[in-house]
Amino acid sequence: MTDISKPPAVDVEQLRAAVGDIYRGVAERPDAGYHFHTGRTALAHLGYPSEVTDPLPDAAADAFAGVANVFEPGLPDRGERVIDVGSGAGADALIAARAVGDDGAVTGVDMNESMLERARRSAAEVGLTNASFEVGLIEELPVEDEWADVIISNGVLNLVPDKLTAYRELFRVTRPGGRLQISDICVEQEVPEEAKRDIDLWGA
Amino acid sequence: MIEDAGFVGVTFSNKVDTFAQADGEEQARAFGTFGYVIEARKP
Repeated sequence: MTDISKPPAVDVEQLRAAVGDIYRGVAERPDAGYHFHTGRTALAHLGYPSEVTDPLPDAAADAFAGVANVFEPGLPDRGERVIDVGSGAGADALIAARAVGDDGAVTGVDMNESMLERARRSAAEVGLTNASFEVGLIEELPVEDEWADVIISNGVLNLVPDKLTAYRELFRVTRPGGRLQISDICVEQEVPEEAKRDIDLWGA
Repeated sequence: MIEDAGFVGVTFSNKVDTFAQADGEEQARAFGTFGYVIEARKP
């Protein structure tokens, strides 16, 4: 796998804007056709069982754009507190919210207001009052220290140039003994430095 | 990387062919791009 220990020299604000454009597009036009699978097609392709995806409102499921089944190792336990980092339209967060029940809580964090609107609408539609959704960045999560039992995330870390800073922030909000359970993509071929600096390729 | 942040017990799942039959499949194949579930624990 390629070495990601040093942040590539990209303009962080430009990259955030480019990523924001892609996922705002997914939120507003989820069936427009993207280079990745979206919606219930993606959920099925990645192996999410129908018993967790069938109850999802269309507003959450249709704009799903994850890269692997983050619950493949297991669902969170009842009563646990979960943060979904880059929660998008809320599919994973709502699956987690149903699993943790009323004694638990889920906080979804995303930088994209269009996605947050879908997630909040979906939670209200199915009456999951233990799920909340906040605007924020992975490098500065709007969550107090050691709040979470479990951190989930799906296809987000690969879009962050300074991964060590992001992982340190995940460490800050995880309680001692808590766990990270994230889906992401990795590359097996070395990515040329020139490609790492190409903003267009980050979303490709 | 993940250990550098303080987590321990990092494990990777078997790889997932995330982009199979998607429009981005060719580009994903060029870089050997696959999905994984990564687990770790805060001591």
